[in-house]
Amino acid sequence: MEKGYVENGFIVDLAHAKKASEVLYELSKVLDMPEAKNKSICLKLGELNLTEPELVSIKALIETMHSTIEFISTVSEITTTSAKELGIEISNIGTVLPALDITASEEKNETVNAELETALDKIFGQSDFEETDPEEPDHPEIQTNSAETDNKEVQLVSFEEPEDLETLRKNDRETEKLPTLYIHRTIRSGQSISSEGNIVIIGDVNPGAEIIAKGDITVWGILGGIAHAGSDGNTYSKIRALKLNAIQIRIGNIFARRPDTVNTPYIHRTDSYVPEEARVNKNHIMIYKLHEA
Amino acid sequence: MTALVEAEKTVSKKGDIMSGRVIVITSGKGGVGKTTTNANIGTALARAGKKVVMIDTDLGLRNLDLLLGLENRIVYTIVDVVEERCKLKQALVKDKKNPNLCLLAAAQTRDKTAVTEEQLKEICEELKKDFDFILVDCPAGIEQGFQNAVAGASEAIVVTTPEMSAVRDADRIIGLLEAKEEIKSYKLLINRVRPSMIKSNDMMSVEDVVEILSASLIGIIPEDTGIITSTNKGEPIVNDEKSLAGQAYRNVARRIIGEDVPFLNLEEDTSIMSKVKKFFTGLIGKEK
Repeated sequence: MEKGYVENGFIVDLAHAKKASEVLYELSKVLDMPEAKNKSICLKLGELNLTEPELVSIKALIETMHSTIEFISTVSEITTTSAKELGIEISNIGTVLPALDITASEEKNETVNAELETALDKIFGQSDFEETDPEEPDHPEIQTNSAETDNKEVQLVSFEEPEDLETLRKNDRETEKLPTLYIHRTIRSGQSISSEGNIVIIGDVNPGAEIIAKGDITVWGILGGIAHAGSDGNTYSKIRALKLNAIQIRIGNIFARRPDTVNTPYIHRTDSYVPEEARVNKNHIMIYKLHEA
Repeated sequence: MTALVEAEKTVSKKGDIMSGRVIVITSGKGGVGKTTTNANIGTALARAGKKVVMIDTDLGLRNLDLLLGLENRIVYTIVDVVEERCKLKQALVKDKKNPNLCLLAAAQTRDKTAVTEEQLKEICEELKKDFDFILVDCPAGIEQGFQNAVAGASEAIVVTTPEMSAVRDADRIIGLLEAKEEIKSYKLLINRVRPSMIKSNDMMSVEDVVEILSASLIGIIPEDTGIITSTNKGEPIVNDEKSLAGQAYRNVARRIIGEDVPFLNLEEDTSIMSKVKKFFTGLIGKEK
């Protein structure tokens, strides 16, 4: 378990539970959801002591929903031994995580852990599910941290930056060499703009419109349609807009759709935009606020 | 001054110097009120003394004649004109009330391919000589029917309602209109507006729609159940002096002519009770 996600599964955080019955109760709520069927489940159990029969009942509950326990994470020795008896894999995620410290981001190991932590936060903070494989037909949602608390965003940005800065800068220089298509009008539903280089649009891109560029895409307005940067597979391409409200963002071969929770097909114009940039971070499309960078 | 007006009149009588404005009324989506708008603006313009002809290009699904109550008077249709079974003037159906108003009906038994863009252009050019306004009623969709309707026009009115789907389609239509060189200007007409729903945040506001489509506005028409009865009766609602929707359509017509008419304040006018209240409070105020 090196990455912050599980193949075809999800992580359930039960670290706060004090009794086995609480675990069962919480778990049954999660498993009741239709998406929870046929999944690998990882349990984060924290300091909870679980005896072997208790673990057996938890395992049985999960198995009634045709799911399996992928692994559990615990700091309790009792739970560890009972899990070993049952042949359940133990992972130490959530136990070795350091307290979040931005200065620690210099070291690569710490960065991975911190990323894991934020990924976990994301899962536990919003929902218990996360689609992670970008190749799946159901594309992962755009991970907008701008809508979340500012804390998370700062973390994500500062952890990500040191690692990729060199490559990003290099790519910036590469895209500078490409020709740029400059368009000064509103792109409306049904219209498609494509270019071998970069595209700059002064105006809105309305829902139903499509922008495809081999290089970067910059929209000086509200981006509401579909944008595909790096159409020849360059995942270092970027999409910027005064307001990113794209139905779908594609960078290189990575897709992301707008979260279903964001039900704002149209965005109001305001006087105070916070320009946003979408770029790829470890196979995910992330949206960053530009002014804070 | 009077001499000038007289001169203008004689010019328009001569016919050959007159050059009418061809306005296409379109929307993309169906059911938003294109035909209703057409019938009402046409009637309002005719009431204002303009010579108006309406062309129904919705071949196979004609409705405009129903709204005007002229169904029983149609002898020749646009297809008859195109296929030279009659002269253009013969095919024009005069309105029951207003002699300034004419209709060139669509054929109900044919489909959109019966007329070409070139033929419609020719018809519009010919009608321009005799009329101030040629209103073209466009069918829903963006196919041949739309292309035909737009062919002869130099101006467009895009009808939409404050609904996401209608706005999306209007956006598409505006995009297509912008690409057409012949269309010199397009205006937005927002139909079926319900102020109470906007107030409770259940409907997009007029400002929202204008903002999304970034187009200039020519009219806001409130939702009015009277439209249904007027359609059934074949009597455009602009002839109903009391109707708020009728008033709104009359204002649109005045704006088309070039007058500067402020938009109706729909919120105030909707409730009769508030009017009555105002009247009485006014009285009491005076007595004091």
